[in-house]
Amino acid sequence: MKRVLIALSLGASVLLAACGGSSVSNNPSTGGPTVVPPAAQLTGAGATFPKPFYDAANFAYNKKFSQVTINYGGGGSGAGISQLTKKTVDYGASDVPLSAKEAAPMGGTDKVVQIASTLGTVSMAYNLDGVADGQLKLTGDTIAGIFLGKITKWNDPALAADNSGVRLPTQDIHVIHRSDGSGTTYIFTDYLSSVSADWKAKTGGPGKSISWPLGDGAQGNAGVATRITQTPGAIGYVELAYVLQTKMKQAALKNRDGTFVIPTAAGATAAAKQFVGTSPSQFSIVNAPGKDSAPISGYSWIILYKDQADKTKGTALVDYLYWLTTAEGQQYAVNLHYAALPSSMASFDLLALKDVTSGGSALLSVS
Amino acid sequence: MSKGTAERVAPPPLVATSRQRRLVDGDRVFLAIAYGAAALILLIAGIFIIALFIPALPAITTFGLGFFVSRTWDPVRIQFGALPAIYGTLVTSAIALVIAFPIGLGAALFLAEDARLRFLRGPLSFAIELLAGIPSVVIGLWAFFILTPLMRDNVDPFLNHTLGFLPLFQGSPSGYGFLTAGVVLAIMVLPIMIALSRDVIRAVPRALREGSLALGATNAETIWSVILPYARVGITGAVLLSLGRALGETIAVTMVIGNRPQITTSLFASGYTLPSVIANEFTEAVGDVYLGSLFYLGVVLVLITIAVNVLARLLVWRFTGSETASA
Repeated sequence: MKRVLIALSLGASVLLAACGGSSVSNNPSTGGPTVVPPAAQLTGAGATFPKPFYDAANFAYNKKFSQVTINYGGGGSGAGISQLTKKTVDYGASDVPLSAKEAAPMGGTDKVVQIASTLGTVSMAYNLDGVADGQLKLTGDTIAGIFLGKITKWNDPALAADNSGVRLPTQDIHVIHRSDGSGTTYIFTDYLSSVSADWKAKTGGPGKSISWPLGDGAQGNAGVATRITQTPGAIGYVELAYVLQTKMKQAALKNRDGTFVIPTAAGATAAAKQFVGTSPSQFSIVNAPGKDSAPISGYSWIILYKDQADKTKGTALVDYLYWLTTAEGQQYAVNLHYAALPSSMASFDLLALKDVTSGGSALLSVS
Repeated sequence: MSKGTAERVAPPPLVATSRQRRLVDGDRVFLAIAYGAAALILLIAGIFIIALFIPALPAITTFGLGFFVSRTWDPVRIQFGALPAIYGTLVTSAIALVIAFPIGLGAALFLAEDARLRFLRGPLSFAIELLAGIPSVVIGLWAFFILTPLMRDNVDPFLNHTLGFLPLFQGSPSGYGFLTAGVVLAIMVLPIMIALSRDVIRAVPRALREGSLALGATNAETIWSVILPYARVGITGAVLLSLGRALGETIAVTMVIGNRPQITTSLFASGYTLPSVIANEFTEAVGDVYLGSLFYLGVVLVLITIAVNVLARLLVWRFTGSETASA
């Protein structure tokens, strides 16, 4: 059985290599044309934040098109960028688009294509007896105050002002942050830098790891979540999915319009929709206007070379990435509490993918 | 004995038979393989050192020796210094040795010397091997979920209450920090400490021991004034080898140290160690100087570990005259 499969896939790849591109056939189930990608093995590496989404989507894509296998190794954005630079992977993933400096060894930002693959949002989780889930209200000023060490007790007047009716204890605040470099930290510090000039001046702005004014570091979303659950009086920032999975208490956050919102995936999409012309060079969507916007949100990115040396592989890659940004691919993100890309960003991705060429001809056969 | 052996061996023939020549050729092949393998190890070690040094160069040229004394670790402003991590590494290892040394030496003396509770030796040896075989990540997991609340609610408040006049035990304990990391390291180095000390104590000549007892010394006096002074150098070696293990331990420490680059006198406070910084930050370290600084930390750690290990092996070898140290 296995041998037959190998023979079949070999035959298919020979055929496809001969024509060197994807073929378009009629899909009987939907009636519309579906792109049939050529057989290829694709490898990617990079950010760990979107990895559960990529893994689920890759599995589903392989079920749909058994001739394409995609292996996403994770390893962190830094690893993804350096492996893409050395061309040991076909695509890299990063929570922050490439800076000009990072892109330089790849030939500059105009030699690469960067697409947004999904959206995430960050929650403020806390451990306070007598304060229920969603009961605590935080603003940009109070979050910055806590993380700068200006607000050290839970019954600080600044916190009490926003939380009338909530019995805040006289407890010390324990700040927990990520110890490992992370896209979540980037989004959170991007938010703090946007709402607090003081924070920006003290820490130098957003970063995947930064020099924290105070607090303890724990590894990964899971590590931060556990330490908050263990430590009475603790507060920290955690990816929304982890808050929902571990049933932690999370705060309502005041957005730019002055509404207190509980972070949700829909809130992240709402925030993303507020920005027109989001691109790899203008990617920040924190502190968004709009009454439904979740204030601490951000995109995750996939990076590939604009000029693909291997036409077959390049075709399979753009076909897959296009699929990932369509509603069919995005459903796997939504299932895991990531937010769906707004249609404006999906169109940006499609345009960007159309720029990918091999030997001078465009690879994406979607119009 | 030697006479009997000589009688059984036939006198060597004057001309080598073809069978013997084949053996000689076989020896040569074997020798070549062995030399090749030995050379390969040297090559790998050499490549490793170079491969560690080259990526560290951007950081070495940027920060120079100031890296060793700077307290800043700021990836946003690209300013790096190793002092808090060096401090954390040394402090946690020191705590580990302070705890593991008396326990380890006691257990080793029991295993090597005490004849009365002989039936306990088997289970104890087994327990030591078991402890040595637990992967560090499992110990870390246990420490993270069970030890840290225990330290926060029981051990730390007790120390604060009884020894709180010392700056070491002041401050509010969170369960994470230098002391907890030191306790975890102590558990991890105990097997080495016990096994090596036991071997060293067993290597004390029987004549010395019996001489002391014959002169009327008690068991305790013999251990205190004859065996321990004689085994002193070897035990020092065992301590240093344990230190080598403690310095490099990464994952279990990272889980309980608190990961905060600071230098404080309180052992209840959070800190950072050289391996923890590397483990935490390498995945997202983008840029030559940032990544280079992590490699630079690696160079510092390797230098410290090599120095400790070389010293330890020299001491143990000098004493036992064998390579038990490598066990």
